Amino acid sequence: MHKLWLVIKREYLTRVRTKGFIFSTVIVPVLTIGILVMQIVTASRQTGRTLNIVVLDHDGNLASAVIKGLDGKLKNGQPEFHVVQTLERPPAGTEDNLRAQVLNGQLDAFLVLPSKVTDGEVSAEFHTRNPGEVTISGELNHAVSNAVIGERLHARGVDIRDVAQVVEEVGLKVIKVGAHGETEEKGQTIIIAIVVGMLLYTTLIIYGVATMRAVMEEKTTRVVEILVASTRPFYLLAGKVLGVAAVGLTQYGIWVTVAALVTVYGAAMASMAHAGTMPSLHLSGFMLGSMLVFFLLGYLLYASLYAAVGAMVSTDQEAQQAQTPITMLIVAAVVLFNIILRDPNSTMSVALSMIPFFAPILMLLRIALQTPPFWQIALCLGILGLTTAALVFLAARIYRVGILMYGKRPSLAELAKWVKYT
Amino acid sequence: MESDTAVNVTGVIKRFDEVLAVNNLSLRIKAGSVFGLLGPNGAGKTTTLRMILRIMVPDEGSIEMLGRPLTESSQDRIGYLPEERGLYTRMKVREVLLFLAGLKGLDDREAGRRVDEWLERLELNQWAAHKVIDLSKGMQQKVQFIAAVVHRPPVLILDEPFTGLDPVNAGIIKDIMLDLRQKGTTIILSTHRMEQVEMMCDSICLINKGQSVLDGELAAIKRSYGKNTVRMEYEGDAGFLDQPQVVAAVNHFGAVTEVKLCPNADSQEILKAAVARGVRINRFELVEPPLNDIFIEKVSGVAHA
Repeated sequence: MHKLWLVIKREYLTRVRTKGFIFSTVIVPVLTIGILVMQIVTASRQTGRTLNIVVLDHDGNLASAVIKGLDGKLKNGQPEFHVVQTLERPPAGTEDNLRAQVLNGQLDAFLVLPSKVTDGEVSAEFHTRNPGEVTISGELNHAVSNAVIGERLHARGVDIRDVAQVVEEVGLKVIKVGAHGETEEKGQTIIIAIVVGMLLYTTLIIYGVATMRAVMEEKTTRVVEILVASTRPFYLLAGKVLGVAAVGLTQYGIWVTVAALVTVYGAAMASMAHAGTMPSLHLSGFMLGSMLVFFLLGYLLYASLYAAVGAMVSTDQEAQQAQTPITMLIVAAVVLFNIILRDPNSTMSVALSMIPFFAPILMLLRIALQTPPFWQIALCLGILGLTTAALVFLAARIYRVGILMYGKRPSLAELAKWVKYT
Repeated sequence: MESDTAVNVTGVIKRFDEVLAVNNLSLRIKAGSVFGLLGPNGAGKTTTLRMILRIMVPDEGSIEMLGRPLTESSQDRIGYLPEERGLYTRMKVREVLLFLAGLKGLDDREAGRRVDEWLERLELNQWAAHKVIDLSKGMQQKVQFIAAVVHRPPVLILDEPFTGLDPVNAGIIKDIMLDLRQKGTTIILSTHRMEQVEMMCDSICLINKGQSVLDGELAAIKRSYGKNTVRMEYEGDAGFLDQPQVVAAVNHFGAVTEVKLCPNADSQEILKAAVARGVRINRFELVEPPLNDIFIEKVSGVAHA
């Protein structure tokens, strides 16, 4: 057993120390955090500047309502608009004069409220040197429209505040009913399910292929000849599979920790910036536990298959071809996502989630969406566990013979013979 | 009697599908000797070595090492330099050796001490922290050699230990082998270089097609052939060797010529002919046949039988 430990340790340490591992483990979260922080910082620092404007009111009945509506504040607390001057019923030629002021920078913009604007026959105009700056145009539009609507209602003898009360919309909350009480649904259940499913998909492929490459490396460099002269082939195989798994868990451990910190920090920043609340992506303990169990079983199943492929090939091209069917199985599980998402409890969904090659991803998806009956989870784990055990056994047999065989890739019949060799 | 046998292979048979790789092979390798395992390519040498190393299990027959049947722990008492060299190229020299020493059952401290000792002895200490891939072929060979001997195995299997080494390094490795033998290590040497076998081996086994065709102490084997070969150096025309009743075969090496005599022929006939033709003889020595000739005769003889 000590030798198994040595094999695991070597596999783990040599992988964890590579630049690739450090890069992907550290850089990915650093980039994620960096982008998030940048967004928060730019969002909170999106100050812009106060625009000095002149309002031209040709009928003289809108300006005060519009100016009241232009009460938006910049992030630094300064008003978005500063109305330098209000000109009611301006004389002809005023606009040319103002246009010149905008051009030479004395003024940022001027707002024209033509007569008849309340009839809806003409539009209000905002003359500015830099239209790009008018992210505020929404607010401007709102202020002008409100003023015009208020004026129209006033003409009909209605108070705008009454109308505002009458047309107030009613919100609709979607609530998920679960075994552990009700949670407000903001789309997070499906998001979690898909994120978890995709996470498992990428992990199985990345670490499965890594196991295959590790086996191939020892075979092609011929180190394996000394290794099998020193310890059992099964320890070598198990050491590879477990070592790579430990690397995967380390990487995900780091990411999950960082993600948790970022979520907490991000939420704090977001609430400080009054940027609205994020939907809480809360993972239950049961969900995390299921993820771990299905990841480990799924990884063992696929890593054994990948390792067997690594042992039976001698070149990269052969490996590429021979691994394709295995990778296709994992991809197929993702293709079947839709069936589960549409109805996680349909006969089709239940049947698919019992197939051991799809189970790690699809059963987890079902658990994330809507906890399936206990017997289904138990049956699924039973089938998956037995299949995995059988495949580990077969892979170990193929591995033992394959690592010492060079040359042509074996046919299925030859593989069957390898399994029977003593 | 049993205690002076390091490895005892008895009636071993190994099949791969229909192919008989090793066919009823028996070997007795004396403790503390250098044993040459010879044979043409594909004769079953590697399979035999792998069975002694417990990488493969014989279909029939038995193998004992140091008086006991092979078990998992016997792998810790055997060192192996495979013909196809291989190390983890991206690991550092010292780390690879520590790992391989650990797999042979050494604890960390002991492994560290011995690895450093050996790196120093083979003048590799300044390379300890370098990656294997940065080393020259010859240096990698020496690292691999350390991996084979670091755990002081009583039995050491060396498959073509000198290929790829310059004469200086080959000399260093040869001296270490003799030193280990002095200290009681049994060395199984597998090689195609017959002159190395002649210089180093106490006994040999020549196998062909999975079967032993010649086996025993090297000196006794050579003696049994008698001094039927003339090793000579001469100046002049080679025509004097054209004597079918006396000369069975001639092998020119450039400076030296080896002449195999016919059974019961007198080597004096060659000298007479040379003198008669005015050929100058600088060396004329009656010797046992070189192992190379015995090898070829045995292997091609069996092939024709």
